[in-house]
Amino acid sequence: MSKLANRADWADDEEFDDPSALPAQQVITNKDGTKTVISYRFNDEGKKVKVTRRIKTTVVREHVNPQVAERRSWAKFGLEKGHAPGPSFDTTSVGENIVFRPSVNWKAQAAEVEKNGGEKGSMKDQLKDKKVKCRICSGEHFTARCPFKDTMAPVDESAGGADAAGAAEDTAAGAVGSGTGSYVPPHLRKGAAAGGERMGGKYEKDDLATLRVTNLSELAEEGELRDLFERFGRVTRVFLARDRETQRAKGFAFISFADRSDAARACEKMDGFGYRHLILRVEFAKRAT
Amino acid sequence: MRPVLLSGHERSLNQIKFNRDGDLLFSVAKDKIVCAWWSANGERLGTYNGHQGAIWTVDVSPNTILLATGSADNTVRLWNVKTGECVKAWDFPTAVKRVEFTPDGSRLLAVTEKRMGFLGTIAVLDINYGENLEDQAEEPSLRITCTESKATVAGWSFLGKYIIAGHEDGSVSQYDAKTGEQLENVQAHEFDHQINDIQFSPDRTYFITASKDKSAKLISSRNLAILKTYVADTPLNSATITPKKDYVILGGGQAAMDVTTTSARQGKFEARFYHKVFEDEIGRVRGHFGPLNTVAVHPTGSAYASGGEDGYVRVHHFDKSYFDFMYEVEREQLRK
Repeated sequence: MSKLANRADWADDEEFDDPSALPAQQVITNKDGTKTVISYRFNDEGKKVKVTRRIKTTVVREHVNPQVAERRSWAKFGLEKGHAPGPSFDTTSVGENIVFRPSVNWKAQAAEVEKNGGEKGSMKDQLKDKKVKCRICSGEHFTARCPFKDTMAPVDESAGGADAAGAAEDTAAGAVGSGTGSYVPPHLRKGAAAGGERMGGKYEKDDLATLRVTNLSELAEEGELRDLFERFGRVTRVFLARDRETQRAKGFAFISFADRSDAARACEKMDGFGYRHLILRVEFAKRAT
Repeated sequence: MRPVLLSGHERSLNQIKFNRDGDLLFSVAKDKIVCAWWSANGERLGTYNGHQGAIWTVDVSPNTILLATGSADNTVRLWNVKTGECVKAWDFPTAVKRVEFTPDGSRLLAVTEKRMGFLGTIAVLDINYGENLEDQAEEPSLRITCTESKATVAGWSFLGKYIIAGHEDGSVSQYDAKTGEQLENVQAHEFDHQINDIQFSPDRTYFITASKDKSAKLISSRNLAILKTYVADTPLNSATITPKKDYVILGGGQAAMDVTTTSARQGKFEARFYHKVFEDEIGRVRGHFGPLNTVAVHPTGSAYASGGEDGYVRVHHFDKSYFDFMYEVEREQLRK
């Protein structure tokens, strides 16, 4: 009994989980001759911080006067009394590197660095070496001021390459009135459908080979759907409707195939397919009206 | 160059000094402790505790045995550098703004403030390096009273022959170190612009002054002739002459009371490097968050340290570009 009483209660054991105790410093010698020192300290918020330092020791021999050498062995005193040799964290730190390059015209250089660093290069500077070029005669004036404005069509305009519209679809855009220079409304342009353009017409031609998949799981992913349908042919587009806020699937998707026959096969096989505990319903997408 | 930041003080720095060998750096601030640092790695060797007020000034004897400090608690204290013990304290009627040892370390001057009906004085104390360091003279061996304008800073000329003092009204005067008689007085800086610092060249034949009038001047110790003028765009608190390269370093910045109203960039809290001979500004080093109160250069010219209103001491070891820089004319001369 007395033995038990002598032994400290395990709950009082100081080594055990004392939040104020810091683990001892660890020093590991690495193969390449460097040392890794792992120490622990408390930061300003009272949290325990693990500090890992890799130290490479280089011996630099220096000849100093004997008094200086003698001073190196002095013990610390005052507030530093009893502290280990070596700079301590709370009084000594290393600042960021400063580039100091004396120069006669340092002021001009500093101004330049400031300008480049601050991204303050104004619009004026950016356009400094841009020249005004007339689209009609390529002269150095604005197109509106061109003397040939009324008599000549703009150069290169008929090529159509410069316009933004030309970049999207070459078939639909059509050359702007070949050479005449007068405005042609979109529905009269070459290749435009008689009924006019529908919004989102970009995907229109795919409608014939697009499947609508419903009864999808909330957790469905585009990649998975693509994998599922790619077995039947080249899939050009997978659109999975998602909730704007939660980013979860809304339960339906559109899969476009490159080839209609592939789409038909996929529609047949995948209708009624079990995916993520739900039975898929697959049908040809209806043309939105 | 990567500066070493020393954060041993809680308040703004007042003075920093390297010892003659350059291995130790001493700093004093408005808090009550003196710190000693190894200049090579920024390790703190220790602190000297005992002052009761802000410490304005520090100097170390040429043999690094004794350290002298002057404080707002109206005392000059002498410390054993090695042990950190205070070996002697002299009481003065007012605060002590500047102390400096003679080049041979046998005498110490102390500049006292003009306050409470007392005139500003420069007192000279004899220093004894015997077996017992506590055995020092009680009374100053010489007392110079500044009747016109109080001295703010002072130092010893070559061989301790003259005492050179900078005054509150912007003038510089030369006193005979034996008799205390005023030999010269020159209005070196603009009238009523206080001289904040005075530091000597290694051989003490000339010195540099830093003044509130936004300029620093290189002045001859012998006849107080103004040799060079360095013009800055901000009030200067400190200036020093670099050995090895012919530069001077000026430190300053907006007065501490105006600092909060300006950004760090506008505050001009940079150490400015000027060419000593050509008087051109050749570069700046930034880093402090407040005005630079003091700059000091390593006696071999390999490093410099600056102490700021922000409470930090930054020790910079120069890299190659600093030593390589030369004017075209200097290069030509080298080739001949």
